[in-house]
Amino acid sequence: MRKLSFAAIAAVAAITLAGCAGGGSNDAPEAEKPGNIRVWLVGTDTPQAARDLLKTQFEEQNPGSTLTIEEQSWTGLVDKLTTSLSGSDSPDIVEVGNTQAAAFTSAGAFLDLTKYYKELGGDDLLPGFVEAGSYDGKFYAAPLYSGSRLVFYKKDALAAAGLSVPTTLSEYISNAETLAADNPGKSGLWWPGQDWYNALPFIWENGGQVAVFKDGKWDAQFNSAASQKGLAQIQELMTKASNAPKDGNETNPQVGFCDGTTLQLSAPSWVKWSILAPTDADTPGCPDQESNLGVYALPGVNGGAAQVFAGGSNIGISAKSAHPQLALKALKIILGKEFQTIYGTNGLVPALKSLASTLGTDEVAKAISSAAGNARLTPASPKWAEVEASGALTDFFVQIAQGGDIDSLSKALDEKIESILNG
Amino acid sequence: MSAPTIAPSPALDGKVRGKKPRFQLTPYSLLVPATVVLLIIVGWPLIQLFVISFQEFGRPQVFGAPAPFVGFKNYLKVLTDPSFWNVMVRSILFCLVNVAVTMVGGTLVAILMTKLNKFFRVLMSTGLLLAWAMPALTATIVWGWIFDTSYGVVNYIFTHVFGLDYQGHSWLINPLSFFLVATIIVVWGAIPFVAFTVYAGLTQIPDEILEAAQLDGARGTQRFRLITLPYLRSIFLVVTILQVIWDLRVFTQIYALQGIGGIRDQTSTLGVYIYQTALSSGNFGMGGAIAVITVFFMMAISLYYVRQSLKEEQL
Repeated sequence: MRKLSFAAIAAVAAITLAGCAGGGSNDAPEAEKPGNIRVWLVGTDTPQAARDLLKTQFEEQNPGSTLTIEEQSWTGLVDKLTTSLSGSDSPDIVEVGNTQAAAFTSAGAFLDLTKYYKELGGDDLLPGFVEAGSYDGKFYAAPLYSGSRLVFYKKDALAAAGLSVPTTLSEYISNAETLAADNPGKSGLWWPGQDWYNALPFIWENGGQVAVFKDGKWDAQFNSAASQKGLAQIQELMTKASNAPKDGNETNPQVGFCDGTTLQLSAPSWVKWSILAPTDADTPGCPDQESNLGVYALPGVNGGAAQVFAGGSNIGISAKSAHPQLALKALKIILGKEFQTIYGTNGLVPALKSLASTLGTDEVAKAISSAAGNARLTPASPKWAEVEASGALTDFFVQIAQGGDIDSLSKALDEKIESILNG
Repeated sequence: MSAPTIAPSPALDGKVRGKKPRFQLTPYSLLVPATVVLLIIVGWPLIQLFVISFQEFGRPQVFGAPAPFVGFKNYLKVLTDPSFWNVMVRSILFCLVNVAVTMVGGTLVAILMTKLNKFFRVLMSTGLLLAWAMPALTATIVWGWIFDTSYGVVNYIFTHVFGLDYQGHSWLINPLSFFLVATIIVVWGAIPFVAFTVYAGLTQIPDEILEAAQLDGARGTQRFRLITLPYLRSIFLVVTILQVIWDLRVFTQIYALQGIGGIRDQTSTLGVYIYQTALSSGNFGMGGAIAVITVFFMMAISLYYVRQSLKEEQL
């Protein structure tokens, strides 16, 4: 570890020295020599067709320049962006989770895009994501796409248990438990312990909060009576309905669905394509399940769609980009109608409101639009990303999944969250 | 460090004194390249680390904001934080167990290698080399699959071969069991180095002495204790200290395992804890303070090692 921390600190040291000259406010120079633009996309969410389109269009419009897409992983993204965006070989364009964006916009890691706001889409951009990408009245990171969490289920399993698609949250819980009881060894709802995104709706639906800002300080709310009610429901589902690893993470949910041990799961909308991936793909799916694959939006306490977590991404230009002008051109392609339409047809909500119709009219599209209509965000603090990166939430829900004591665990979690947000 | 070996003997001292400056320049100039490299890649970051540990240094500072000095605030915060002491004790215990298992296992493998015929010795060396050559991250991911909760081969064997109920058993969720898996991975990766080094040492023990002892009626364990061990004392010392340092700062295996499962708060060791504090939480000042404390701790161990090896050289 000594070496590693040295490397990190060395990087930090180099940055502090070099950083004095840089600053975050320098405007893009007008004329620029051709160069290579490096784009960091995170995870496999962005379809290959969109990637190809970006590369070809950019290279056609800018003869002599090239564009390289480098795929990053969601795990450890905040750490990686901190070191790479501040270094001399910073990527030019980076995607960042919407709840993580504030950590970088507030630190001056992104180029100020305020005067390009109109060119990039203006008021057609998803408002919640524009807010997530802005800091101190300036616009730093544009929306990239939004994804809702949907519940995927096996139609035959639900029918065999004599159940129908749930219309309220309590019906959702009892359905999952019935499925698990009727099918021993299988998950009525596959829910690995580290998956905290899926836990938030239960807290919100019961009237709880993650954290509230009052009197100039953050007050974490997992220990509130309302949140406790939601946590009890989460624990019930995790222990009674789920056979997923209690300390596992939510990657590759299609494996259990395809081998038949998962009867229901809640996941981002694009998981549909993971499930239906060809059997000979690198991460194989089970296309034969297509007719058996049902989907609905998580129901709320009083019916209708539940308040779910509005996941998604923002995209910005690194303040240290060597080719800010070229990067801006590439960003315009990314926020263009053609590129964003590909997101829509692949079940992700495009960054432009006017393209909502590209989602189509099938079951998934209907579920997405009803979920998106009621989506919520994590606390709007620049330090929220640190709460996520600290692993406090995953640790907490792993312990909940194990059947730990909700009261004492949530008290400890609140303390930890407050110490980070107010620290 | 090399000063004792190049010091002129007292007898020559008088004669050479007149030309002293010219004679002494060569050895020191030979040291320059190594010193410069060390200063750049170890010394300079170490100084920066030291400086940062006295500053308030968060993510905005990484991107160029000025970093105010806060005196011993970071150190005070670290040393009064019970989770730091938990991590420290956990790391030391983990290190001790791993070093003990590695040393005993490595020595046994080395002795085994002296008894094998050529074919099996080559086979064994190849196996050890492959384990040694495997990057720690790759090894951890593969071991992670082996111990996977839903689809791991260990659970499968326990359930289907031995008839025990290990269906869906999570190996990483209980901290003790987490460290059992971590120990297997670390020891598995470290045994080849110990085995090869000790084996090399074993081949240097004169056969006559062992044979004579055998004729005098010394049993195997007695021969090992009274002849082999004293012969290999210096090797054991060096290897043990290296293992202590490596196991105390273990990072990759723990960090990767935490991604697979387990509870971070209950399984972090020093290396991972520094990373979490500095990079994930964006608190580089406090991370720096923990790192400086670790540096001093390791320096104390290394100093002992340097002193011992100097002593050996003088013998």
